[in-house]
Amino acid sequence: VTTAARRLVGVDVGGTFTDVIAIDDGRLVASKVPTDVYASETSVLQGAEEVGVGDAQVFNLASTAGLNAIITRRIAKVAFLTTYGHRDILDRGHLWRPFEAMTDPSWRRGVGDQGRPLVPRYLRRGIVERIDRRGELLIELDEAQARAEIELVAECSVEGVAICLINSYANPAHEQRLRELVREVMGDEVACSISSEVSPLAKEYPRASTTVVDLLMKLKYSEYTDRLEAGLAELGFAGEFNYADCSAMLLPASYAMERPYRLVVGGPAAGTIAGAHFGTYLGQSDLLCADVGGTSCDISVVRDGAPWLNSTFDIEWDLIVNALATEIVTIGAGGGSIVSVGRSGELLVGPDSAGADPGPACYGKGATAPTVTDAALVMGVLAPDRFLGGRMPLDRERAIAAFESLDTSLPFGERVRQAWMIGLHNIADGVADLAIRRGLDARDHSLIAFGAAGPMLLPSLLDVLPLESVIVPPNPGGFSAAGLLSADRVFSESRTLYGILRPELLPKIAAVVEELESGLLARADVDPADATITRSFDGRLFGQSWDTPFVPIPSGTLDDRAITAMVNAFHEEYERRNGTRFDWLPVEGVTYRVQIVVPSDKVEYEPLPPRDGELRASGTIVLAHLEGGDVDALTYERDALATGDKIAGPAIVHEETSTTFVPPGRTATVGPYGELHVV
Amino acid sequence: MTPSSNPSSAPEKEPVAGACPQCGAEELARYPVLAGGGWFMVLKCQRCLHSVSREPWHRLGYIKLGRAEL
Repeated sequence: VTTAARRLVGVDVGGTFTDVIAIDDGRLVASKVPTDVYASETSVLQGAEEVGVGDAQVFNLASTAGLNAIITRRIAKVAFLTTYGHRDILDRGHLWRPFEAMTDPSWRRGVGDQGRPLVPRYLRRGIVERIDRRGELLIELDEAQARAEIELVAECSVEGVAICLINSYANPAHEQRLRELVREVMGDEVACSISSEVSPLAKEYPRASTTVVDLLMKLKYSEYTDRLEAGLAELGFAGEFNYADCSAMLLPASYAMERPYRLVVGGPAAGTIAGAHFGTYLGQSDLLCADVGGTSCDISVVRDGAPWLNSTFDIEWDLIVNALATEIVTIGAGGGSIVSVGRSGELLVGPDSAGADPGPACYGKGATAPTVTDAALVMGVLAPDRFLGGRMPLDRERAIAAFESLDTSLPFGERVRQAWMIGLHNIADGVADLAIRRGLDARDHSLIAFGAAGPMLLPSLLDVLPLESVIVPPNPGGFSAAGLLSADRVFSESRTLYGILRPELLPKIAAVVEELESGLLARADVDPADATITRSFDGRLFGQSWDTPFVPIPSGTLDDRAITAMVNAFHEEYERRNGTRFDWLPVEGVTYRVQIVVPSDKVEYEPLPPRDGELRASGTIVLAHLEGGDVDALTYERDALATGDKIAGPAIVHEETSTTFVPPGRTATVGPYGELHVV
Repeated sequence: MTPSSNPSSAPEKEPVAGACPQCGAEELARYPVLAGGGWFMVLKCQRCLHSVSREPWHRLGYIKLGRAEL
């Protein structure tokens, strides 16, 4: 592993640990420090110091600090101003219910007033005004009434004000004037987000929730960024400072602070970016990715060389943010997933997890419930003296005792084998669900297996799911963090413009696209020659109420042929996403998007030389409780493998951050970059 | 306040002494409201509408049944 020339540092702030990764002259330096959830910047700075951030040129940070703040509601007290009569849009949301609550009268929306609202009802105030959907004035802004409402929330000591007026995406005048009034009453320093700047898109609920989240992130991250920049400067860092957004693309810190809602989920998408980047080395642009850690398995898709994105995501049920985000399906199946006995006597695996503390029974920290990791240890897949590079010995006797304690009549070997297989089938279900929902045939796709527990579990998926192959990349335990050093810098904006795609609409489309592009180029301060500009739109078939996002718009000057190209591209994208097309229906454009991508230095994977000599196993072990009984297996050291090596299963490949299990009947071939292709 | 068999369209609000902990106005009042979770007896500031307290009230609100235990 190396980089183009410059020294890069990536930091991924998790809920429990902060991972730091640096690449310097091909040498990968990794560090892990406990996350201080109340002041996570101290953990970031501690980790950055450990890898020597002082002489780095690039510092990329993915933080879940904002997400944790919202989930736990450790958030600032803010006010929400909206058009009179609409203050309960935040309570109502989409009126969607989860499937499992369809017939449950006691179900309440978590972010509504019956749950834990982001803004309490008395701080949501109605303002007399109205602009229609065309942007024309219906009711004048009542400034006296607005001022009285702002004075009221100011007396309630709010730290910021979010403003979302109905139809402001079509005409922002009233929102802009309201912001001026807020500053007149509360001072110029008060944090204020207006929806026509944050997310000038139609559909008031997602726009309103995005604006509130933007304000909360502004309050969370602005001082955080100041403290971080000051701390990094003290450590001698004077390079580029980027944040990772919800799709793990990089935003320069100053740009990120203009739209901080994009930072709310910074970490989980990094693994998908790493998969997409590594896929370019393998010549594979369509891949499935699975990141198996201690608690969960995150499954995502790479299509045409890029992560599969959505135009919105839910922070929690029906709490929506209008941000481009990698689609990730998370299932409760990780190394720490707890094995239990259900009401009918059946074995269950997950979704509860033992986490890192107390962890699986074999950690010896007091847990007595068996987990998938305990099963792997009892089976012999994990070696008790090789966990975490040998730094953490595992106690096999405790793992055995944990399985013996299960209240079931199953024989011991069946308990272990079934626990392993159920964990595996849970993951297979998640992968199959995501693939089928996106119209992908698993048989045509390889799955990249990473995370500390990914290479241990996922190659066995080949026995239950018809995948092309399972690929274990180099350094699978740090692969996700390496995604922070695998992305480009991205500037993006979007705007709503409703209209059937006909030549008459072209001047309006061209004007919107031109305005978005010129604004972004000015803000990004880059030479257009050094950047890639991509245009797209979200459209829908006439009569639909939901959009198909990211339909390409031709580059260059837009002429009549552009409309034909856009309509054709819409039908292509619609078919790609939904498996069917309706060419005879008119297409309506809804949202227009422009993205400027500035290439960044990335991790580079060094080719592994072919073998000089003979491949030798490092030892022999007995794998127990597999289907068909106990079998002998050879063990190998990953560092000793060379391109072209073939390992017949059953076999175990040990390395510092992970263990790969090649199941019986399967073969692992070492690829040109040291990756293992299991088929 | 006890359930009445002849409620008016607007609730009877009982003024309560004290200041709102949020906006400071001395305009507190106690009255029943019907919300998503059922009937509640609330103590609310009449200026900023902050709920100072919110306790479950009679399940059927103003409706008074013949049997007292209901």
